[in-house]
Formats: sequence, C-alpha cells, structure tokens
Amino acid sequence: MMRTRLALVLAVFTGLAAAGCATVQPWQRGLLADSCMIFDANSATAYMTHWQESREGSMGGFGVQGGGCGCK
Amino acid sequence: MMPRFVLMPLVLALLAITPAPAAAKDVLKVAPDVTLTTVAGQQVHLASLKGKVVLLDFWASWCIPCRKSFPEIEALHHEFESQGLVVLAVNVDEEQRNADQFLAKYAHTMTIALDPKGAAAEAFKVNAMPSTMIVGRSGHIRYTHKGYTDKVIAKFRAQVLELLAEAE
Amino acid sequence: MLLAAAGYNWAQNQVELSFHGFQDTRGVTVLSPDATYSKDFSDRTSLKLKFGVDSISAASDSCARCHQDGASNGRFVTGATVTRKYGDSKVTVGGEFSRELFYTATTGLVSVSRDLNKANTTVAGGFAFSLNQPQLHPSESTENQRSIDAYASVTQSWTRRTLTQVGYEINQINGFQSNPFLRTRLNGVMTVGNAPDARTRHALSARLRQALPAETFLEVDYRRYQDNWELRSHTLALGLSHHFGETVVGGGTWRHYTQTGASFYEPSYTGTPRYFTGDFRLFPFDSNSVTGRVEITPKGGILAMPAGSTLTLQYERYRTTTGFEAGIFTGGVRIPLQ
Repeated sequence: MMRTRLALVLAVFTGLAAAGCATVQPWQRGLLADSCMIFDANSATAYMTHWQESREGSMGGFGVQGGGCGCK
Repeated sequence: MMPRFVLMPLVLALLAITPAPAAAKDVLKVAPDVTLTTVAGQQVHLASLKGKVVLLDFWASWCIPCRKSFPEIEALHHEFESQGLVVLAVNVDEEQRNADQFLAKYAHTMTIALDPKGAAAEAFKVNAMPSTMIVGRSGHIRYTHKGYTDKVIAKFRAQVLELLAEAE
Repeated sequence: MLLAAAGYNWAQNQVELSFHGFQDTRGVTVLSPDATYSKDFSDRTSLKLKFGVDSISAASDSCARCHQDGASNGRFVTGATVTRKYGDSKVTVGGEFSRELFYTATTGLVSVSRDLNKANTTVAGGFAFSLNQPQLHPSESTENQRSIDAYASVTQSWTRRTLTQVGYEINQINGFQSNPFLRTRLNGVMTVGNAPDARTRHALSARLRQALPAETFLEVDYRRYQDNWELRSHTLALGLSHHFGETVVGGGTWRHYTQTGASFYEPSYTGTPRYFTGDFRLFPFDSNSVTGRVEITPKGGILAMPAGSTLTLQYERYRTTTGFEAGIFTGGVRIPLQ
C-alpha cells in the first residue's frame, strides 16, 4: 500500500511538474489531435473494458481524455 | 473512508474553477511584419497592406471548430471584400496535403496562406485554435479572438465595420 | 463505470450505433446493441444520451447451470451526461441506470477537467456514487450495495508526438458482495459463496500515445490494481495503429493480464471458513488477448448515411490460463448530424 501511494504521489508530481516544462504550441497539435492519439476513442473500447471487468477481478484506473487538439 | 473520497475530487474541482491568471490587457501593438506564401505561390508582405483593414484567421485541418469558423470567415470576405477588407486565412498544417484535403471540401475565394512551420503563428502569439486577429489601417492589432463560437461572428462583423469606417 | 467527462469529442453532434457479440467456450452466444446520441446545445453545453441492451450480466455465467434450456438474462442500461464549459474547464454531471434479472444499479456522477499550460496539461477528477440491488435468486429477497468511486488523472503533451496520462482510481463498496449464483465445494457440497461486505479497490494507470513516422501510432497502457481482499493484478496492453490513405485506419492490440486470487480463495474448502467463493473473478489466473480493428470513413458516406460517417469493425480473441476462451466482435457506425 505504501509503495502504491508513493508511486501515485510521484506520478502526480511528475505530471504537474511537467506542466511547466513541455510546451507544445497550439498550432503544433496536429498529430496530438489525430484519432489514433485519443484515449478510449470509441464505444468498441468502452464495451471491451466493460466485458473485461465482467470476467476479471480488477476495475478502472483510467482517467478522462486530455491532450487532443486543445481547440476552443 | 468518506473524507478520502471527497478530498481528491474537491481539490481537482478547486483547480478547475480557479480562474486562469488574468490575460494582459489588450494593448494596441503593431502587427508583426510577416511574409506569407499563398497556396498560389505568391508572397504577401503584411507591412505592404498598411492602410487596409486585414483579418487574419489561423486555422488547421485538424481543428474541429475550424470546420465551422472557416465558412463564416469566407462569408465575411464575400461581404466586405468590396469595401476593402483583406482576409488572410493562414493554415498551420505541417503537411500541405492535409490542408488541401480540407480546402477541397470547403468552397472559398479568400486568400489562403500557408504557415507550416508556424512562424507567423508564433509572431502573432497564437495561443488557441482557431485564432482571429483584425489589424486596423494603422497596422496595429485592434482585436484578437481565441477559439470560435457562433456568437463571435456578429462581433467580427461589428469590428470590421468599425475599422473600415476609420480613416488611416 | 460511466466515469468519463466529455473530452475530445466536444462540439460533435453525432449518433453512434454499435452492435457487440461474443461467443465463448461455455457455448454462450450473446448479442448486445447500444446507441449513443451526442448533441451540442450551445458552444458551451453538450448532452450525451446512451441506451443499450447488454447481455453481460451478473447472471450470465450461471444460468446454464440450472436452466439448461437457457434463460433470459439481458441487461438494459441507460445513461445521460451534460457537460458545460467554463473557460478552460469542463464540468460533467450525469447518471446511469441499469436493470437486469436479479440486479439493478443506479449511479450518479460528477467530473471536472481543466486544461492548463496552453492545453498541454489536462487535470481531471471525478466522483460517482452507486446504489446497487442484487436479488438472491431463486429467493425473492434483495440486498443493497453502496459504491463510492473517485478518480484523478493528469494528461500531458510532452512533444508534438507524445502524450501520456497517469490516473488513479479508488472504489469503496459496502454491502452484499457475494455472488448469489456461483458455487464452490464446501465440505463436499456445492455451496453459494460468502464474500466480505466491504471492499476497497485501488487502480493506478499509466498510458502513452506516441506518433511514429509514416502515420503510425503506438499505444502503451499499464495498470496496477490491488484491493483489500488481497487481489492484485497487472495489465499491460500494447497497440499499433496506422492510417491507410485518407479513409481507413487499421490497428491491433495485444493485452496481457495477470491476477492473484483473493486472500480467501481456495479451489475447495473444508471446515467452517468465514469467507469462501466460487466466483471465477476472484481466482488467480492470467489472460492474453489480441484485438484487430479497422475504421473506414468513405468520402461519400456509407449507404444512406452522410459523408463523414465512420464504420468500425473490431474482433478480439481472449484466452485465460483457466481454459476459458472467447471471441468478441463489435461493429458500429458513427454518424455526424447537422
């Protein structure tokens, strides 16, 4: 449990620290906006996750979509 | 157990609703003197357009709101070209064929400029897609719009009319 | 779990119709259609409605044990979410209701996401509460189960080609959690299991999407899971996808999963154990699966559907070390609406 918490803290810290380091400019996001770069792109993926959770003892862990085109 | 569950999303909710740092006030500044290449291969020096009202719209084939904004900008061009408005639709796709595929789908008569390396986007400090800048006759950037909403087109029209009415 | 805020598909009016089927080594063949409708009401507000008939239900694996001629065990599920933009933030509020024979579940959820650093960083979090009611068939009595779920994630663009996401989810379930259908051998007699009333589950994930040269993309997903029943698992998925011209995307994924058993798992039991289970989800096993998919967006549309419609076909072959095998098929269309 302690190791999991430590990994979590490190992961979040790395994520937030990275916020200041890497900057892809808004006009450079073409590849990041590609459909193949999306997490959990379609209902087929959602169904597979549902099917796996019905057969296996684990669940969840995957967050919401970010990245993409950053368009407003 | 309950506090642990509430704490994490609460922190994130606070992060979400915290306002972004206030943007610098729109200070009148001179539009950068960029040189753009059109799809027809012509060079356009922005400084040579001084004395005219210029609307620059930065767009890309991968930008979903651009599918709505592009035809609206074309409509503005159609409406105000005879009154002297210059519209430059600046494409920032890294691969021109992606821009070409988009242009094949959307009818247009306005000038399309290519900025694959983002030099013009960087010079104009674009920080959203799409971005629209309206440059007055004196060469200053008078209005900047980030993103696209259905309501913003009415603002563009009002601002273009205002600037066209100004003497140099 | 319907814990997803509107993300990439903002400003998309569309209908997505999908048809899923699976067939497995128990001789079970199941078909499940579902539909999702997404609509923008303004530049800032969008609605998503979902409806499906799903035959993956709590009863699926066990009906055949008593009902050799088969039994109806469809699950109908419906959900709605509303997402509203506030500057760089999005807030989603929604709910889901499902009903099947011997089980109903009602879920309410809220989630928030915020773009930072010119949309290079997205921080998101969500919270869901579920009230579930299993019925102890063939008895008429029902039990209650309350589930609280929270998650947080950080998505980061590192370069024009690299995107990562780390996520953490915690889930607490209180109430009846034994499987009323699956039996194990207790002192020689097949007996319905008895599981603890409280379960705390943690999942930590890390994901990568990397754009490679030649319109090819790499996907790497890893998840580490553990709970207070001492079930621990690792999941690793690797995938590649590629654009074939303007209209076709093809891809494949390999997934490996390994889990320990719950602390109270035994192949059979003697004496008077407090907890015992016949639920295969709590056994130790590994699984491997391979998935292939293709997405086609023909220029002129598909049949009567407008241009921009996408047809998706996906097939997965899944196998566990316990001898279970299944083939899962999904076909779907995504239709843009004006």
